[in-house]
Amino acid sequence: MPVPTLPLDVEHLFDLCTKHLARDSEDLRHNYLGALPEGRGRYSEGWRFPHVEPHFNGDPMASGALNRVTFVYLAPRDAADGFKVSVRGTFAPLYEFIPLQRAGDSRFFATTLLLPSGQCFRYRYATGGGEELDAVNPQTTTEDNGARWSSFFTLAAFEAITFERWERVILDRLTRHILPFNTEDARIFLERLGGQQRSNHPYLARFDIGVGVVNFLDKLLAREERHQLFAYKTCLSIIDQLVRQRNPYLEPRDMNEDMFVLLYDQMVSGNVPGWDYGRYDNPKYFLEILRRHTITAAFSHPKYGGNAGAAAWDYLSARYRDGDGKTLFDWRRAIEPPLGNSTEYRG
Amino acid sequence: MEEFDAVIIGSGAGGAPVAWELARAGKTVLVLEKGPRLRTQEDNGPQGLSDFKRDEVFSAGPEKIITLEGVANKGRSFFTSHIEPDLNDEPHLHSQKVDEVPVVTIEGYTAQCVGGGTQLYGAVSLRFTPDDLRLRSFNAGRSGLPGLDPNDQSVSIRDWPISYDELEPFYGKAERLVGINGQAQGQLKPFTSGSFYQKPLDPNPISKFALDGINAVGGTPYRTPLAVITEDHAPSGRKAGDPKTSYVNRYGDPLGYKSNTWVSLLRPTIREFPSKIQLRCNSVVTHLESSGKKVTIVHYRGPDGAKKTVAGKVVVVACSAIETVRLLMLSAEEDRGGFGKVVKYEEGGSLLGRYFLTHCFGGAETRVRGRFDKSIALDSDWATDLGASADFIRNNKLWAGGAIYNNTSDQALPLSFVRTHQSADLDTLWKGFAENDQSLYGDRIIQWLDDDFGRRLSCSFMANQIPWFNNHIRLSNVRDKWNRKSAQIVKMWHPHDKQVMDTLANVCRQILEKGTGTSANLEFGSVYGESRDASVRIANHILGGARFGTDPNDSVLDKFCRVWDSDNLYVTDGSFMPTSGGANPTLTIQANAFRIGEHLAKNVL
Repeated sequence: MPVPTLPLDVEHLFDLCTKHLARDSEDLRHNYLGALPEGRGRYSEGWRFPHVEPHFNGDPMASGALNRVTFVYLAPRDAADGFKVSVRGTFAPLYEFIPLQRAGDSRFFATTLLLPSGQCFRYRYATGGGEELDAVNPQTTTEDNGARWSSFFTLAAFEAITFERWERVILDRLTRHILPFNTEDARIFLERLGGQQRSNHPYLARFDIGVGVVNFLDKLLAREERHQLFAYKTCLSIIDQLVRQRNPYLEPRDMNEDMFVLLYDQMVSGNVPGWDYGRYDNPKYFLEILRRHTITAAFSHPKYGGNAGAAAWDYLSARYRDGDGKTLFDWRRAIEPPLGNSTEYRG
Repeated sequence: MEEFDAVIIGSGAGGAPVAWELARAGKTVLVLEKGPRLRTQEDNGPQGLSDFKRDEVFSAGPEKIITLEGVANKGRSFFTSHIEPDLNDEPHLHSQKVDEVPVVTIEGYTAQCVGGGTQLYGAVSLRFTPDDLRLRSFNAGRSGLPGLDPNDQSVSIRDWPISYDELEPFYGKAERLVGINGQAQGQLKPFTSGSFYQKPLDPNPISKFALDGINAVGGTPYRTPLAVITEDHAPSGRKAGDPKTSYVNRYGDPLGYKSNTWVSLLRPTIREFPSKIQLRCNSVVTHLESSGKKVTIVHYRGPDGAKKTVAGKVVVVACSAIETVRLLMLSAEEDRGGFGKVVKYEEGGSLLGRYFLTHCFGGAETRVRGRFDKSIALDSDWATDLGASADFIRNNKLWAGGAIYNNTSDQALPLSFVRTHQSADLDTLWKGFAENDQSLYGDRIIQWLDDDFGRRLSCSFMANQIPWFNNHIRLSNVRDKWNRKSAQIVKMWHPHDKQVMDTLANVCRQILEKGTGTSANLEFGSVYGESRDASVRIANHILGGARFGTDPNDSVLDKFCRVWDSDNLYVTDGSFMPTSGGANPTLTIQANAFRIGEHLAKNVL
């Protein structure tokens, strides 16, 4: 079964590419904190490539299953007239090379595939000169045999990419402490909500909100804010060691909430006894990053994976009601089905 | 080389009305737009999705970090919407003085896409008052205005070269063609041509406090004019729907109810006159080339950066004030003896880039009794011209006044509620929640939400800023991604601006105090500050820098916005304004652009 390929919309392709890729400057203007290797820091928001967009096929319930993924290759300025490039990847048999089409007379070559949502993929480009990684996309994967691939994920992906299990445990404990859902009534509400699986639509998947938030962070640090990955990896390691020193008898997942309350307050003050300042000198700054990410995870659109099944929006919607029981945060009114009930907006 | 009757650079409020006029007059038009054309659902067909989303991450995206050398805030984070420029690629710089190390700022940018700033704006579409256009005459013989020395030659208050009566028919035309809902009754501005407003939708109930407050302080309330259609709009072929979502200010509208210049002017023109108008997106103009007094070649880059050229019998520049002045200066540096002479670049007495303006801006904010669903709102419900009347201005010893209106959609959605906590402007998003107020977590966030979510109400003013020679746009040695010099804005507030802002902020305070019956939890203030870190630097209403007038030695443009020494170069964005007006400027830019378009069609082409 060949991968469905959509006709190339050249104007839309330019809309996706020009701001990010077209330039004369070779400066590494976007290599924040030195995080992007091999010249990728010269492109603005290189994480947008390949470009993943939602797809609508007329049925709101079925549309979430597929995404439009546009692969873009920027040919060298001195490329020959007959220059050709194709892509192969785990979205198709690996022996299958899918050709990219030149967009008008530009240097952009592209193809748009319909791929399943919630998945992670690897790919490489092939030109006459052999295979190469995507020169724009910062995400790469190295296999056990040492082979490197470019990689990406589609909307509502849940497979862990960035963090190991022990790191996710620490993140879960820290982020739960930041979020406004750790009261008893919030917990009961969200547990009740978690049992109400409404359909198989990926945006409606309901699981524990803390798990969703950690999943959001896992994806954010793989892509948009990859430059903060060093801070996360380093600080999670420091925190893991620190809490184990403070309580050698329990795993972090089983430690009392007070342990993390104390740690949080110490991070706010910037003075954390036992913190390895030689490895990361500003725990308060890491907390700033974590606070911004955590709130964004919990309250952004469920397609990003953090606000699982729109549970955080539902929490506000249920908490704030008028005397007649009518919600005072009717988020569904503006949002597309099947999450919301807008009769106009498709998402 | 390709030649059009008109090449228009920029597709926003200053460019689109000119294109609308010229194509209908049978002229050939090319619109060059730096940004993409983000589509509505309708643009993408019966099963299409829009490129704009009701998605709070689109309004302020992930963290980026300033990496440019030679700026004071290298290493600082910034958060832009999906259609604002990347500041590392296309920076705007700000300093209070020429010799101060500048900072990179997102302030002063409008959206870079088809429709420009009209895609993201809150859509408040007020007219200026007749006095706004004749402030020199209004202030003749007055003295004793705090902070304003009548002998200060660096302050240059000018009447516009056109009167309100001359502009009035074009206000009406813009209101009819763009698609605006509102209420004429209660405004200080004469509607001589009649009112073309669509009927406003019911206000959000929280706005009743503002209405009561306006009445209590003796103001005459009227429904704030908003560029959002509430009824089917025949001129643009749009059907009405449900626009009250609070995904309004800083969001593009996936359904096209917000009357940006793409859905209201350009799209219908392209549909009706496809042989007369072309729109080329993702095409940045790098410089203009002239021969004698005529601009002969427009140099631009295509979507992949390839160099291209085109010619126009007339060339209309409408890139928003800062970028327009920058383009003229960059073109002058390419040919100082030619184009440079045409625009008097760096000549003694040259006014190009001078008298850059924004708005005196501020207001009051409070917590109201009860709770309201602010997610069902447009940007504003009620306005008053109380602060714009001649009596008010004179009684308060001000040189000019401004409009006051309540804000309805601000802090309506969860992420905007959090990330704007304690933030003064777009450069300080997230700073309050992430950095300054880390005590907000867990139960305290719930308490904060209980206290304020759906309960915050604000009231703003938008007033004239003193035109000051010191405030100007210049070229910086910091280079953009095309290795071109970036724009640097040198700007600070004039001492009399403080008087204007303090006075109007106090009116806003009174409105909310009387409207809610309490001064508890009431805050008020303005963007005024004497240091760079204590003030809002530029804000988003960017005006002036190429003011029009009647004297070539006192202005950059003539009455019809033609560069004085050029035969065919026009400027139609907000840079033409000699004073910034007492209201949001977009409608006035559109009205003036219709005026220029009509002039070009009838008298020039």
